[in-house]
Amino acid sequence: MLASLNYRPRGSVVERIDPRARWIYSLAMVFSIVFFWDIRFLLFFFALALLQYALSNLTWREARRAWFFIFFIATMMVVVNTLITSAGTISQVTEGPAHPVLVIDTRLPLINLPISFTLTAERLWYGLCQYIRILSISLLFLVLPFTLDPRKYGITFRGLGASDRLAYSMDLAFRFLPTLNRDFNVTVDAQRARGYELERAQGGLFAQIRKMAPLMVPVTMNAILEGEDIINAMDLRCFGLRPRTWIQRLSYQWYDYLLIGLSIAILVASLVLRYGFQVGDFWVPAWLVG
Amino acid sequence: MQTTAIERRPLWNFGTREVVYAAIGAALYGLLSAATNFLQIPAAGNVAIRPAVAIPLFFGIAFGPIVGFITGFLGNIIGDLLSGYGFWIWWDLGNGIMGLVAGLIAASIHDYAQFNNILKAEVMIILAVAIGMLFASITEIWVSGIDFATTIAVNFLPSFLTNIINGLILVPILMIAYAAVVSRSGR
Repeated sequence: MLASLNYRPRGSVVERIDPRARWIYSLAMVFSIVFFWDIRFLLFFFALALLQYALSNLTWREARRAWFFIFFIATMMVVVNTLITSAGTISQVTEGPAHPVLVIDTRLPLINLPISFTLTAERLWYGLCQYIRILSISLLFLVLPFTLDPRKYGITFRGLGASDRLAYSMDLAFRFLPTLNRDFNVTVDAQRARGYELERAQGGLFAQIRKMAPLMVPVTMNAILEGEDIINAMDLRCFGLRPRTWIQRLSYQWYDYLLIGLSIAILVASLVLRYGFQVGDFWVPAWLVG
Repeated sequence: MQTTAIERRPLWNFGTREVVYAAIGAALYGLLSAATNFLQIPAAGNVAIRPAVAIPLFFGIAFGPIVGFITGFLGNIIGDLLSGYGFWIWWDLGNGIMGLVAGLIAASIHDYAQFNNILKAEVMIILAVAIGMLFASITEIWVSGIDFATTIAVNFLPSFLTNIINGLILVPILMIAYAAVVSRSGR
């Protein structure tokens, strides 16, 4: 198995921004989006997320797997929630006026079981709002793994306030990936030479899970044993006794401060609009129910 | 007489040892998650079996709640990065909480091959998976606007059931193997 991260330098506008500013922006936008159910506000955030995506120079080929996954999850949740269960937690949908679009009131033949289902315009519109909301939030974070250098995860989270040890642990995890991937492939080959077949899905659920043990146990135990040598090496170099220095350095530029300021402004404005002026709640256009 | 007991460490210790094991656990979880994405539950559509969930549970039990949290949180991030699925922060946190809760019994387990300790770990696995996956599922209510019934049906039940089965089968195997490694290496 080839374990490779999806990052590569693209020379995009998004990559020039400090990773700390990008994380602050993404988190501020997520917290702002969840305040609103009015589609007019949701479309604003969707447009911002699309703009970020457009500026990241991602190709369809690179991101298509993520797109399929996002659309599948969003569709499943919206369809189940809108058509099968009680269509969300918004009182305007569950208790407010209802304009039926589809009414099913029948009985199953032979067993005479009654089936009653009403789909309203309000539930459909709510489903659309959900879709846009889920897509906006997913889109915000979709670009990060493709446009953020894995070598900078540690220094980024250190800059966001994580401790040296936590940040170094993140850094070390990415550095371990090639080594563990090599050990994984060697173990798979060694077990295959002994008649082990990973891909054959014979047997039931429990048999499939048990079949993972000859792969997981040696890989895990070898990794733990190798870790002991690294621990000794780090202790000999007095790891953790003083504040750590990092090979990469991050420094804010004027556009990073601008992005952080804009993020905070949007978050504050969202709070004020939602809880100060009671704006942004679920809204159904008149032409839909007229 | 060989013993499989190891020295006691404070539960919330985060020294050099924990830093390295957290990194190893996260990398392992990410790698094994991505490697086993092809395993599907028979006749259950798109719900994948994830044997790698045993890693954050085991690392939490063996090395403490902080290691368990980082293994689950960062490991899920790495797994999604390798698979190309993007970031799902609330599910990363859910996996982290799963490893953290499992690690709450780390200080009380000294012999990983002892039956009572394995039984204790099994009970903790059920609790850890329930709390972790419930957290992630309930967060979906807030993020996606779905109701409780939908998130239980679509998010919680599939993840809880698959993780429970994987954890209950694989974690005891890892514990027994770790006990053997500890007794042979003498560390």
